Amino acid sequence: MALPGRAARQRRRVCLPGDLDLVADENTVLIQRTLRSGQTVHYRGHVVVLGDVNPGAEIAASGNVVVVGALRGMVHAGMEGDANSFVLALALQPTQLRIADHITRPPDGEVAPEGPEIARIKDGVVTIEAFWPGGAGK
Amino acid sequence: MGEVFVVTSGKGGVGKTTTTANLGTGLASLGHKVVLVDTDIGLRNLDVVLGLENRIVYDITDVTGGHCRLRQALIRDKRLDGLHLLPAAQTKDKTAVSPEEMKTLCEELESEFDYVIIDCPAGIEQGFRNAIAGAHRAIVVTTPEVSAVRDADRIIGLLEAAELHAPRLIINRIRPRMVRHGDMMSIEDIIDILAVDLLGVVPEDEQVVISTNRGEAVVMDQRSRSGQAYRNIIQRLLGQTLPIMDLEDGSGFFGRLRRMMGLK
Repeated sequence: MALPGRAARQRRRVCLPGDLDLVADENTVLIQRTLRSGQTVHYRGHVVVLGDVNPGAEIAASGNVVVVGALRGMVHAGMEGDANSFVLALALQPTQLRIADHITRPPDGEVAPEGPEIARIKDGVVTIEAFWPGGAGK
Repeated sequence: MGEVFVVTSGKGGVGKTTTTANLGTGLASLGHKVVLVDTDIGLRNLDVVLGLENRIVYDITDVTGGHCRLRQALIRDKRLDGLHLLPAAQTKDKTAVSPEEMKTLCEELESEFDYVIIDCPAGIEQGFRNAIAGAHRAIVVTTPEVSAVRDADRIIGLLEAAELHAPRLIINRIRPRMVRHGDMMSIEDIIDILAVDLLGVVPEDEQVVISTNRGEAVVMDQRSRSGQAYRNIIQRLLGQTLPIMDLEDGSGFFGRLRRMMGLK
């Protein structure tokens, strides 16, 4: 495992990899509620939460994690080692963010910008960027 | 048929027992028939807060164990006719009562009283499971501290898992000036995380300590701000819509909050 380092937050806008066929046949679980402290989701596949993930809650997925709400808990995408996994949330403020074998925490003292953000590994570093659906302003 | 409320928080020391005593006293003073049940077996406090410690003969474990009848264990309050206490045992532990026994006990109590209010112990173990077993509705107490809010969040999750939906929240011991200076979590911050219905906000008040030490409930003190806060909470419990009271002045944060909640 890489040492816990700080995630770099970039201001550049990005969109998801366009090739959705790649992920279409993989398992996805949809959680239609807020995950509260002490509640965990461990899943082989992608996890989509419609609600918040509160501090003290935990999500671990072998694939991607998408939170349609505020992500304030612990999240691990690509827990089986897939370094192409990403974490996407409307408000990305996790206690700790893990992707594959990278462990990061949000930059100290930095106020998370408004709007959805996506975290993924780029050049060996967990990078957080503003997310714009459809690639507007790419 | 009465209503059974459980007052819970997860974290200790946030004011469950004080809240239970004040809600019970307030409801009884309005003429309702109320029983308060202390489920904190081994660390009983509610009797002390109500000033009824020296009247205990039988306790909750005697009732569930069949050593006495329910009526024998109930202690009538010294001031209010409608207020009763079912005390916890001090010399046993939480395993002395089972959730099934609590369910039966609550059913018996709700047939006799308008309101059954259960004071839950801190923690999420058997004491908590006992306390919520017979409840219809839950009241979650928290203070504006990150740790208390975290525990309240955990408790709300466990309540939902136990089919106790839509718990209502009391924020206790808030200090408006600290909130204004950004040194304390605001009502907004707490609601943002917990996302539950706000039943009321009780300001930090020395009068609570004074009343509690005397075995009285601050809700009966017409001049204290915390007493007013508890009276408002009781009105909301009874179904009225009341704005969150002005903890300081109306122009600042609380005025904004009220507008946000559509109460002004």
